[in-house]
Amino acid sequence: MTVTSAWLLLVALSAGSTLAAVSGMTGPALALIVLALAWAKAQLILNRYLGLAQAPAIARGFALALALYMAVLATLAAAAG
Amino acid sequence: MSDPERQFSVPTIPSGRLAGETPPAGGHATNRLPGELMMWILILSELAVFGAGLLAFLAVRLTDPAGFAEAQSQLHRTGAAANTLVLVTSGWLAALACRAAGAGQTRRLRLLLAAAIGFGAVFLILKGSEYADLWAQGIGTETHAFFTFSYLLTGFHAAHVLAGMVLLALVGWLATPRAVETGAAFWHMVDLVWVILFPVVYLI
Repeated sequence: MTVTSAWLLLVALSAGSTLAAVSGMTGPALALIVLALAWAKAQLILNRYLGLAQAPAIARGFALALALYMAVLATLAAAAG
Repeated sequence: MSDPERQFSVPTIPSGRLAGETPPAGGHATNRLPGELMMWILILSELAVFGAGLLAFLAVRLTDPAGFAEAQSQLHRTGAAANTLVLVTSGWLAALACRAAGAGQTRRLRLLLAAAIGFGAVFLILKGSEYADLWAQGIGTETHAFFTFSYLLTGFHAAHVLAGMVLLALVGWLATPRAVETGAAFWHMVDLVWVILFPVVYLI
């Protein structure tokens, strides 16, 4: 994937977050969707912009740590209702 | 006895390819961090600081979900969504500048970095308009815990955007591949923080 493809995907994922927010969805469902999209965007930035795709083992470590962090954020968001 | 030159030599840090570069023919990948190790340490430090701030924000939100939701409705969500596009586009331009630097295209890399800096300025203008609107309504850091956190997190992030713009200008002036990559890495970190901060503070 080129950085231009990554940028286009980032724009699409950002549009997805905005659509989810204006769809009227609220609460844990919205939190889960927009945080999952944020995770995907962060992965693209790490792997394609910052070049971690060159180092797959390190990239997997970042992906796991970020996924765990996002899960904690989602849990806190869901707990707030 | 060991060789003194060896004993006192500064250890070198193995550097990988430039960020975003395609792996060599055959798809061989390494397990080295691309670019400067010190920049990665800075990136991880900044991610830890913002990460802790966002966790604290959501933890405090548990004490007053309705108040946080009401306060959140005062923010400029549309402007913040636009700012996400502004920053990812700016990051793309910075990534392209790294490629141009690697190809020795100095004029192109400077133009790309100037455009990236321009998008950074757009981000700050949109952010500034939100702050101005909030202040005009008498909303400050002590109005509600939500605003304490949102001003702190977004203000700290905006300070990083400003620092990143200065850094991009500096590396554009130096115009070496390693310098451009290091400056771009900082800029991508700013981008990375925003894509996580935006949904937490503005959307959920």
